[in-house]
Formats: sequence, C-alpha cells, structure tokens
Amino acid sequence: MDWWVWPVTLLAVTFAMGVVAVLAGVGGGVLFVPIIGAFFPFHLDFVRAAGLLLALTAALSAAPSLLRSGLASVRLAMPLTVVSSITSIAGALLGLALPTDTLQIALGLAILAIALLMWRSRGAEHPDVPRPDALSLALGMHGMYHDPALGRDIEWKVHRTGAGFAAFAGIGVVAGMFGLGAGWANVPALNLLMGVPLKLAVGTSGFLLIGGATSAAWIYLERGAVLPMLVVPSIIGVVLGAKLGVRLLKAARPAHVRQVVLILLVLAGARALLKGFGI
Amino acid sequence: MMPIEDRVSARWIEVGTHIAFTILVASFAIYALQILDPLVSMQDLVRLWQLPVEKFVAETGAPTGWGWLRLLGKGDYLNLLGVAMFVVVTIACYARMVPLFVREGKRTQALFAFLQVIVLLAAASGVFR
Repeated sequence: MDWWVWPVTLLAVTFAMGVVAVLAGVGGGVLFVPIIGAFFPFHLDFVRAAGLLLALTAALSAAPSLLRSGLASVRLAMPLTVVSSITSIAGALLGLALPTDTLQIALGLAILAIALLMWRSRGAEHPDVPRPDALSLALGMHGMYHDPALGRDIEWKVHRTGAGFAAFAGIGVVAGMFGLGAGWANVPALNLLMGVPLKLAVGTSGFLLIGGATSAAWIYLERGAVLPMLVVPSIIGVVLGAKLGVRLLKAARPAHVRQVVLILLVLAGARALLKGFGI
Repeated sequence: MMPIEDRVSARWIEVGTHIAFTILVASFAIYALQILDPLVSMQDLVRLWQLPVEKFVAETGAPTGWGWLRLLGKGDYLNLLGVAMFVVVTIACYARMVPLFVREGKRTQALFAFLQVIVLLAAASGVFR
C-alpha cells in the first residue's frame, strides 16, 4: 500500500473521532489509543505517544474559552495537576518498560473498565459540600462562576481533598502508561469525589490534563516514540472534527452518540485483549 | 470577576497554541510534499512503524533525547518543532503564573506553579532516561 494512504486514512478516522468525542462528551485520547492501536498497523508505543499529544492539543485548544467563561479554574487544577504530572511520568516509564503483550492486555482491561465507568457513572449537577476541608481551604480551592443556563452565580467549594490527591495520582499513572488522556476519570473524581459542580468539573478537567499529558508526552518524545506521520494528521483530524462536533451539538442526541462510543470502546478493548493473548 | 490567573493563562495558551499549530501544519506540509528529505524514507517507515520504539531507533538511527534538534533539516524531524512548541506553551504558562501568584500574595499557589514547572523541566531534561 502507498505510504500516503495512511495519513489520509488517519485524517478521516480522527476527524470522525473528533466529531464523536464532542457529541459524546469524552476526550479524544480515550477513543484514539484503543481504536488506532487495535485497527491500525502502528506499534502501541507510537500510538500511546500520539494519544497523549492529541489529548494535550485538544485540551490546549479548549482551555482559553473555558477559562474566560469561568468554567475552568486554574486555582482548582494547579495542586492536583502537579500530582498527576509526577505520576504520569511514572506511568509513561512503566508503559515503555513493559512487554507489548502485557501492555495490550492491561490496555484492554483498562478500556473495558473505562467503558463500565462511563456507563455506570451519573454526574451530580451541584453536589452537596457541607463543609470544605482544611486542606482545600489552605490551597484556595474555592470560588464562583456564572452559569448562563441558570442565570446566576454558583459558589463552589470542595471536600475530600486528600482522597482527591490520591485519585489524581492513580489517574496520572493510567494516563501516562496508556496515553489515554484523563477526562474519563478527571470529571468523576472532581465531581463525585471532591464535590465540584459538574460544569466546572468538565471545564477544569481539560486544564488539569494539560500538565500530566505534557510531562508524559515528553518522556515518549525523548525516547524517540513521536512519529510525525501518525501524530500530525491525527491532531489536525481531531481538531477539525471537534469544530464540526461543536456545530452539530445542537441537533444531535448525545445519549445515542454515547451509546455508540461505549460499543466502540468495548470492541476496541476486546480487540486489545485478544491481541495481548496473541489471538 | 475572573481571577487574574485564569485570564493570563487563557491569553498565553491561546497565543502559544496558535503559533504551535501554524508550525505543525507548515512543517508537515514540507514533510509530506518531500520538500526536505526525511531521515526515514516513507517506504521504510511503513515497514518500521510496527516495531517497538527501541527497535525502531536501533534500525533507523533515529535520535533520542534532544538529538532531534540536530535533525531539523530533515523533513520528518522538522515536525518535532511544532510538537515541542505545545510543550513549551504549557511550561511558559505555568512559569508566568509564579510571579503572578507571588504578587497577589498567594504563596501556596505560587509554590505549586513553581513545582509544576520543575516537574515539566525534569521530564524534558532527560533525567528519567
């Protein structure tokens, strides 16, 4: 097959991924690694590096408007991102040290677990935080944002900050190891565990991802695992697809798209498992 | 009112990301149109991208660490300039926040921003090789 078929195919597939990711409310990284890893000929080392860079560029593209609209908070993200950045380096090193078969099996299991998490978890719009804990107050993790849908300002504060740090440490390892980004885990951890309002959790999740994805991506870059022929068409495809996804959001039925994403994740997860077992 | 750290981060990320995207798209056009010769030819690449990264590096003599900077004259490695720009944007954004927080009297947050810069620089330095 001619070489140019691959970037063109990648551009088309990742464009579709960008559309679906926006409509389903998931990050591109969580779709990219299992699908490209399962159905394309690239080695998983290159796919994971590309997944991290994809997650990073998508998060950077969305961050300015989210920050300006008050739906992302640097103050909330900063301490957590330091922890997840450190552990995502550990995850990247672990991923690069493991044999490919073991990594495929672990990826398959992780993807199936993520699909289960997405299927089961329901966000709480405004979780009840009776009393912020001392650590969150010391770190200044509180504030206010304007919710245009409700037409009023929403005050937010957080609790279980220690448990939140532990959760983000774990999320960092998984994100760095598999190149998955971390939106699938950041939002439940912020919203259900720490009591961050859902909209702020979704917006801040992207900003939080930037630090972890950057540190892990650099580990892959310096090992020589960044393949421009894979990375660049994928980034362009996802970014353009996400722009179309935002336009389609008004007319689409996100619940249906989410079901399609869940099916895709289950298929890709099962395929990764089979590959890991040499089937 | 929007916190100053959110406003400044938004501006820095926006400008940096635009620059990085421009470099990325331009360098990929140079690569795909083969205006500059790549280190690994397209025909070899299709065969070699199925290998684990260690074997790929051994087979192609591809650079590790900061070695790619010496190969910016090659079509494939020119693309890493755009990729690295995204990383630089992140580091610059956090570094900008340190004096901002210090000036605002938010010492704990300044410390975390500083720690974040150290972690990212450590990852980039190759100390974990």
